[in-house]
Amino acid sequence: MPKLTIAQNILAANDTIAQEVQQSLATRGIRTINVMSSPGAGKTTLLERTIARLRGELAIGVIEGDIETSADAERIEAAGAETVQINTRGACHLEAHMIRAALKELDVAHINLLFIENIGNLVCPSDWDLGEDLRAVVVSTTEGDDKPAKYPQMFAVSQVMIVNKLDLLPYVDYDVEKVKRQALAINPQLRIFEVSCRSGEGLDAWCDWLFTFANGKS
Amino acid sequence: MHELSIAQSIVEVVEARAAEYNAAHVKNVRLKIGEASGVVIDSLTFCFEMLASLEPTLAGAQLLTDIVPHRAHCRHCAHEFSVTNFIAQCPTCKEWSDEIISGTELQVLEMEFET
Repeated sequence: MPKLTIAQNILAANDTIAQEVQQSLATRGIRTINVMSSPGAGKTTLLERTIARLRGELAIGVIEGDIETSADAERIEAAGAETVQINTRGACHLEAHMIRAALKELDVAHINLLFIENIGNLVCPSDWDLGEDLRAVVVSTTEGDDKPAKYPQMFAVSQVMIVNKLDLLPYVDYDVEKVKRQALAINPQLRIFEVSCRSGEGLDAWCDWLFTFANGKS
Repeated sequence: MHELSIAQSIVEVVEARAAEYNAAHVKNVRLKIGEASGVVIDSLTFCFEMLASLEPTLAGAQLLTDIVPHRAHCRHCAHEFSVTNFIAQCPTCKEWSDEIISGTELQVLEMEFET
């Protein structure tokens, strides 16, 4: 019986499209962040607050991924960013071909920073390259402080971690230092921001860093 | 749940090769899957068999998997070691390593087929 050596990456088709997306964004001078978290960690709220704070300084675009509804895209648009909604109709993660299609609908002419809000899920999105420059994982104080240890791959593939909902710390048993320790044990290079989207705490540092990132300086 | 998408990609890779080599029937497909690739082998096998059953050339094909251990190299003491729970700390010198040698593979290695 013939045996054929294939030696091909299973996700090679995705990676080829991701490279195409990355090149097309780089040519336009757009820097891109893939934002991932479990459902309810505050990705959309973080983007709303970020867009409001950086309005006038950066032109931000958002590709909004959800299984169903355009509720989040409406929130983001109301905050003042160019937005395209992707509905995956059941799929647990975004893939590069969805981003390529979404970019055709997005008016990218004046954008310098693009967020891709992935599906709320700490497992599946980590295997798919979307052509982003950087991956950011959001965790929140209402989730329990063992997420990095339980979902290590997500923290291993991210360059930034944002700890959200600091305002709720008096009411929950959440040890921020433990989360940081766990995450840094998996990924010592991880850049960490601690914020409360509700009170605004920590958002200045996050936005200052984003400003330099969007200008290609970090 | 992303195993279904990965299984779909495997089917696409194998079908393209099967057509290229005029395979009448694919008997088995061997994969190289890293320990740290985030894939559950049982789910992947289930999804693959389900998708393969829909394709005449692939129906009944067996999925074989070689698991690759998660390992790192320490640049401080040149030691190679097993990574446990994604924590790449060198057991010899206690430094953290960012040189992962293996364990993230997601590859179709080979297939056997009848012509």
